[in-house]
Amino acid sequence: MGIGIEVVGLFKYFGSVAAVNDISFSVKEQEFYSLLGPSGCGKTTTLRCIAGLEQPSKGSIKIGDRVMSSASEGICIPPEKRGIGMVFQNYAVWPHMNVEQNISYPLRITKVPSEKIRDRVNEVMDMLKLTGLGKRYPSELSGGQQQRVALGRALSIKPAIMLLDEPLSNLDAKLREQMRFELKDLQRNTGIAILYVTHDQVEAMAMSDRVAIMKDGVIIQEGKPLDIYKNPKEKFVADFIGTTNFIECDVIGSSASSTDIRLESGSTFTVPEATDIRGRCTLALRPEDIELSAEGTDGFEAEVEVGIFLGNVIDYRIKIGNSKLRVQSTVATMFRPGDKVRAKVGRVVLFN
Amino acid sequence: MSSPNGKLTARESNALDMRYVFLALTGALFVGIIVYPLYHVLAKSFVSGSGLSLANYVKVFSNPTNFKALWNSIWMSATTSVIAMVAGTSLALFVIRTDIPCKNLLRIMLLMPYAIPPFIGAIAWTQLFGPAGYISKAYINLFGSYDVPWNIYSTGGIVLVMAMYQFPVVFITVSGALGRLDPSFEEASRMSGANAFKTMRDVTIPLVMPSIMAGTLLAFVGAISNFGIPALLGFRARFYVLTTRIYSALAIPDMPLATAMAVLLAITAGAALFVQIKFEKGQSRYTVISGKSVRPQTISLGKWRMPIFFMVVAVSLFASIVPMASMLLTSVLKYWGAPIKLSNLTLKHFSYVFNLEMARRALKNSFILAVLAATVTMALGAVVSYMSVKAKMKAAVVLDIVGTFPYAVPCTVIAIAMILAWSKPPIMLYGTLWIMLAAYLVRYMPFSIRTTRATLQQIHSSLEEAARMSGAGWLQTMRHIVVPLIKPGLIAGWILVFMPAFRELTMSVLLWSQGNETIGVVIYNMQDAGNTQIAAAISSIVLLLILVGNVIVRKVSKGQVGL
Repeated sequence: MGIGIEVVGLFKYFGSVAAVNDISFSVKEQEFYSLLGPSGCGKTTTLRCIAGLEQPSKGSIKIGDRVMSSASEGICIPPEKRGIGMVFQNYAVWPHMNVEQNISYPLRITKVPSEKIRDRVNEVMDMLKLTGLGKRYPSELSGGQQQRVALGRALSIKPAIMLLDEPLSNLDAKLREQMRFELKDLQRNTGIAILYVTHDQVEAMAMSDRVAIMKDGVIIQEGKPLDIYKNPKEKFVADFIGTTNFIECDVIGSSASSTDIRLESGSTFTVPEATDIRGRCTLALRPEDIELSAEGTDGFEAEVEVGIFLGNVIDYRIKIGNSKLRVQSTVATMFRPGDKVRAKVGRVVLFN
Repeated sequence: MSSPNGKLTARESNALDMRYVFLALTGALFVGIIVYPLYHVLAKSFVSGSGLSLANYVKVFSNPTNFKALWNSIWMSATTSVIAMVAGTSLALFVIRTDIPCKNLLRIMLLMPYAIPPFIGAIAWTQLFGPAGYISKAYINLFGSYDVPWNIYSTGGIVLVMAMYQFPVVFITVSGALGRLDPSFEEASRMSGANAFKTMRDVTIPLVMPSIMAGTLLAFVGAISNFGIPALLGFRARFYVLTTRIYSALAIPDMPLATAMAVLLAITAGAALFVQIKFEKGQSRYTVISGKSVRPQTISLGKWRMPIFFMVVAVSLFASIVPMASMLLTSVLKYWGAPIKLSNLTLKHFSYVFNLEMARRALKNSFILAVLAATVTMALGAVVSYMSVKAKMKAAVVLDIVGTFPYAVPCTVIAIAMILAWSKPPIMLYGTLWIMLAAYLVRYMPFSIRTTRATLQQIHSSLEEAARMSGAGWLQTMRHIVVPLIKPGLIAGWILVFMPAFRELTMSVLLWSQGNETIGVVIYNMQDAGNTQIAAAISSIVLLLILVGNVIVRKVSKGQVGL
């Protein structure tokens, strides 16, 4: 296969509002790429521009080496000529066609010989564990099964590119988790390039090779999930990806490998991180990067307000002066409300 | 690379242009058949003799008979709608919100009068309560008196029969609102300490009040626009309303006077509908958004359960089954007034009807008109609705409004508009069957737009987009996805136009001519001339067709639509 997507300088206006405001990115061949952001950030509009369901106001979209749309050249290829598979948020499985008819539709419309259609439909149904459901109608299927039919329909023509618009958001939590693995396996086995749109960061982190974080029609940060998690470029990203504590503090000194920090409560401590920032700043701390202990001299002193046992971790809320922090600790001993503890800080990120 | 792309883009824009051509043609047609004739009514009413004047209106108000007709129309409709409001609301509360038995059966029975043409209902009521009626005779036999203490040919008779055919409107709107009302409102009231009765009084009824008012106003408009009932029951009692006065004015003919009265009728009905829309919007604030049907708690009627049940059964029997049975009985009796026994039954009236040239012609005419009206309005309605709902074209929204407007215009006024517009060159339709077709198209366009719009709104646009992503073009998407999905809705809508068009009276009675009778006109004329049993035989045939049509609609739409 070996076909990717290239989006350059994409704009989409609705009236005077720019839903997509100068976006450029590329999805490499066989890559799982996610557009991640809160609702209204323009991710779905971007996806629909690539699908051909919306006409971009400016910019160009290339799939492989075919120009699919280019505002400057006046090109906009209709969606049915783009050869892309797409899965919709509400599945859009046609209620008047049974499972086989739904899956085979893209093949029938492109006049594939009927014996080949049969083989391909069976293959797709086996792959998606829909065997034996071919004659069922969508109303007789569960949400998860409908989802598979929608996937099967998108996959039946063996597209090089597949677009998925929040496909898991209508499933219950357990099924959603299971489908994450299946989607990832599917992509590995078929070698399809997937562009995935979601507002669920866990979903994006779990499946993607690369993620683009979007806000207000722009991409704020793009990269591998772990890199973004570890090095958020902005407070928004740190807040959106995972859970983060933000504390106002002052940088009082630094060296090549560490920084001295003073909290508003007056306590000072050193973090193993270099920075150029001086003076007032915001400290971003992941709950799992704080370690609590009963005694010691590392980090700062805090008071446990409440601790909730969640099974694999204990979720604490601790107090330092007026600020409250969330801590996820795996330590077997459980602190009680009111206990004085030492909080040792691992990784931090500082923002101006 | 760019040349095949360029071609595809051009083809895509051609498809877009085609849609504008469709719209432009529909728009031109709407202006021709709706705007132009209706404008004529307004214009004509202000012209008398030499030029522009209010002379026609002066005439309406200076002649006491005409003025009385306006006043009669208003108070007859007001009284009718108050009765319909009380009856419709209490029946809806009983059937939807209490533990009354046989709810579903009662609901269907209470909706049945909605399907019976009011003029056929009026004929049935004269057979029951008229001077030689079945119930009148039974009363005389039972009490040994010489007369009955009622007279169906009176204002009271008109109001009562009218209310019988208008209460289902209130019943439908109120029971619909009760069904959509979030049950947690009522549950909160029970949790606050109110009992079932107080909850109904303080929470349920106030919350559905907008619907009660909207339904009542619809009943008012239905009553003031009706011709059959005041014509069949009122002429003998010298009780005239606007619709029957217009009929008489056209018989003279006094076109300017008829036109002025038509405008007054249109204004009164239009004002009521305007207020009705306000109430309808008010109700939407209280409806459940999720559409999840939570079964609300029903109120236990206790010892009143059976008495109320029998009362509701009696009402529904008299609203539908009894009139229909009376119609059938009258059509098979050897002669009107014959004692009811087996030896007095005959099918000779039916064979007479089937051999009567005029009746056969009328059946054929009504059939042709109804098929054409249903087909043309549904086709145009589907185009307009698709362009406004799915393609979201601004021009289509305008057409949507123009096509829906005649809903606010009483049938009598539409008929007058047709006479004014189509009885002079270049287009002479008056005296032919086609003037009735023109009237039916105007009349039923709003229904078709409404049903097609509702059907299309249920189809999420991603279903179409999924087809495009599967490689289907616009036309293929239409053929494979949109049309199959809306087909049940289109068929149901087609029948819902066909049936009222098939038995239409109010417009046809003003527009028919020798050789171009419709079934409604023949029934009316037969009854008017005293041929009660011939009228009953034809009415029975019409009722049978309505029942069959209704069963088909329910089957096709899986119980969602019915008359």
